Amino acid sequence: MVLESKLRPGEAMIRVEGVTKFYFGEPVLRDINLEVPAGSNLGLIGPGGSGKSLLLKIVAGLVEPDRGRVFVDGHDIQALSITDLAALRFKIGMLFQNYALFDFMNVSENIAFPLRQAGGFEEDAIQKRVKEQLELVGLPGIGHQYANELSGGMKKRVSFCRAVITEPPILFYDDPTAGLDPVTSSKIFIHLRRMQQRGGTTAITITHDIEGLKDICDAFAMMERGRLIFHGSRDAIEDCEIKLVRQFWEGVSDD
Amino acid sequence: MIKAVNRGLELFGAWFMSMAFDVGGIFVMFARIVRAMLPPKLDGPETWTNLYRVGVKSFPIVVVTAMFTGAIMVIQAGLYIEQYGAYGLLGWGAGFSVFREVGPIMIGLMFSGRVGANNTAELGTMMVTEQIDALRALAINPVNYLVVPRFIAMILMLFLLVIIGDLTAVIGGAITSQYLLGVDMELFYWSLVTYVTLVDFSSGLIKALAFGFAIAVISCHFGMTVRGGAVGVGRAVNNSVVASAIAIFVLDYFLTYLMK
Amino acid sequence: MSAVASSEPTTPTDADEEPSTGGARALVEGLLFGVGDPIVYIGQTLRGFADVFRRTLIFILQGKIRWGEVVQQCHEIGNRSVIFIMFTLGFLGMILVFQAGFQAQRITGDLRPLGGLFLQVLLREFAPTITALMIATRVGTGIAAEIGSMVVTEQVDAMRMNAAPPVQYLIVPRFIAGTAMMIALVAIAIVVCFIAGMFTALYGFNVNPRTFVNFSFVTYADLMICMSKALAYGMAIPIVAGHTGLATHGGSAGVGWATTQSVVNCSLTVVVLDFLLSGLSYVFLSM
Repeated sequence: MVLESKLRPGEAMIRVEGVTKFYFGEPVLRDINLEVPAGSNLGLIGPGGSGKSLLLKIVAGLVEPDRGRVFVDGHDIQALSITDLAALRFKIGMLFQNYALFDFMNVSENIAFPLRQAGGFEEDAIQKRVKEQLELVGLPGIGHQYANELSGGMKKRVSFCRAVITEPPILFYDDPTAGLDPVTSSKIFIHLRRMQQRGGTTAITITHDIEGLKDICDAFAMMERGRLIFHGSRDAIEDCEIKLVRQFWEGVSDD
Repeated sequence: MIKAVNRGLELFGAWFMSMAFDVGGIFVMFARIVRAMLPPKLDGPETWTNLYRVGVKSFPIVVVTAMFTGAIMVIQAGLYIEQYGAYGLLGWGAGFSVFREVGPIMIGLMFSGRVGANNTAELGTMMVTEQIDALRALAINPVNYLVVPRFIAMILMLFLLVIIGDLTAVIGGAITSQYLLGVDMELFYWSLVTYVTLVDFSSGLIKALAFGFAIAVISCHFGMTVRGGAVGVGRAVNNSVVASAIAIFVLDYFLTYLMK
Repeated sequence: MSAVASSEPTTPTDADEEPSTGGARALVEGLLFGVGDPIVYIGQTLRGFADVFRRTLIFILQGKIRWGEVVQQCHEIGNRSVIFIMFTLGFLGMILVFQAGFQAQRITGDLRPLGGLFLQVLLREFAPTITALMIATRVGTGIAAEIGSMVVTEQVDAMRMNAAPPVQYLIVPRFIAGTAMMIALVAIAIVVCFIAGMFTALYGFNVNPRTFVNFSFVTYADLMICMSKALAYGMAIPIVAGHTGLATHGGSAGVGWATTQSVVNCSLTVVVLDFLLSGLSYVFLSM
């Protein structure tokens, strides 16, 4: 079921080429070019409504761009058949902004869902892995509860478990700490760092929590009104002269 | 066993309580509307906007529905007319049933689906996003400002839409009669004008007024009592259209009986 | 940048940017957009329905059906609508017999065929269509609201990321349950409506139930019309409501939009199908 990698040596794991997207005639993404090398974690920042989440959904193949191409693991995702796209997505874990926990399943079933869909796992093994994951994020024994009984931070952690349960080589985090208190946020970042230290994981993280981001990312990109205004390494962003980037990075406004 | 009985009683009790809450709430909403209209003062621009929105929004679907309803009633009447060869009665059969009964019911149900549901969703969204609390904080009575204009717009517009709908239904019926049944349009029209009375037509309009009234009060009640976010809005819309449908049939029954 | 044609065909921006020199030209353009936009919209929506219907059938033929979910949906669509259907259709039976009775009294004075003809009209038209409109109201809003809120909370995206097609997961169970339950509800509706009519005839016009209960008018063709209508409505409502739910966009206001749009779409679909099936049955019966 898992799709063979077509990555050429030296090619980036995720490559976005000239992606443009219109909504009702208005451009919401304009000519985005982006590369994420294998094993690195890209931090994507920018004001609300600048198109970060949309870009992530385009990279995941959930939304089709109007122009441009997206390569993930060497595959042009628009050219993939439905079956191949499904197979490619088993390599991708995604943590959604709105938790996206299925409300007709309990927590264990939610977390086990990607394993069951992938197939080839014994029921015992699935239960064991679900239990392990819940213990790792500090939520043992909530498997039988439903999503609407949980707090925001718990939902995010459960959603995180579901994203990483198949140990995917590619991870997308869409605002993993939105609306959480600082203590819960730092807990979430501990888990994100854990995934990163595992090695070999390529990730894109969207967040407004710059301090947390500095810890886990080795490359950064900033968007404003559908455009990519900065893309570079940690050192580059420290020295960046663009005003908006400076303000975001240092968390100050000039007036 | 006792547990099951208890559970059953519990469910019934909860159902009964929510039923009582909604039935009572609908009457309370009506009382508040009456109170807000005494002495008569009306937010002119808001009423005008609502008249426009309600009318324009539902005009296309009312026309389409009425056109098809007229056609369907002609087909149904045609099945009998064919059998007895009484082609001169086609216009009467279709016209009578559309004007008196099927027209107001179909247009009323469509109106409830389009305008009533939309009204509940709109007020409900304002409720969950705390816009109504904001109005209260500005010392604006939300019933005066939001509900009364909608109430007036919905009653007036459904009345007018049923008139338009009746006319389009006749057009739809005439076309079907000519091209599907092969009964001449002129014969259809003659039969309609000769046998259908003004009483038939106006009793349909009285029904329209009653339906408009019911849909307005019910949709405003469910909109103004929404709780629990987006899911709550969806549930309120669902309850609102269900209650409106029930009200339409119950009112229709009593009006039919009174206007025999 | 703005000169690039977008993927959305319904973009009036280009026309709006035209300088307003020729008033007639602006009028013609406005008219064309006014007529063209709804046509494009209807065309897209119909294509969407057809696409969802096709994919639903493919999943069913492949046997990818979650039976547990089907049972649950049967409960949601069927059991929870029974009282509503009995109530509204009961009143409808009383209304129809009143109307027919007054007319019969006025014109012929012969009330004996009332029951038989009532049953026939009920089968041919009112029982399936009014039941379907009630289901479009109750279940159509329910399905759209449920699927719509799953779209805005990104649950549908999460399904797609895990290779679980939303049509298979969400629409197939509702399609099967809706079709089966519609037929059952129409059967219940006929019985309730007929009994309500029988009592109205007894107390309103003194028609003996033994005279009223008269099956001699009903033919095999009437039953076929009734069943084919019930089947068509039962298949159409979950597809239309499901598609409308999946088309939700933009937060909790979007869910409200989808819910109201769903009632309208479902009801119009029922009316149009009623017209088509009535027309077809007329052509067959008069052959």
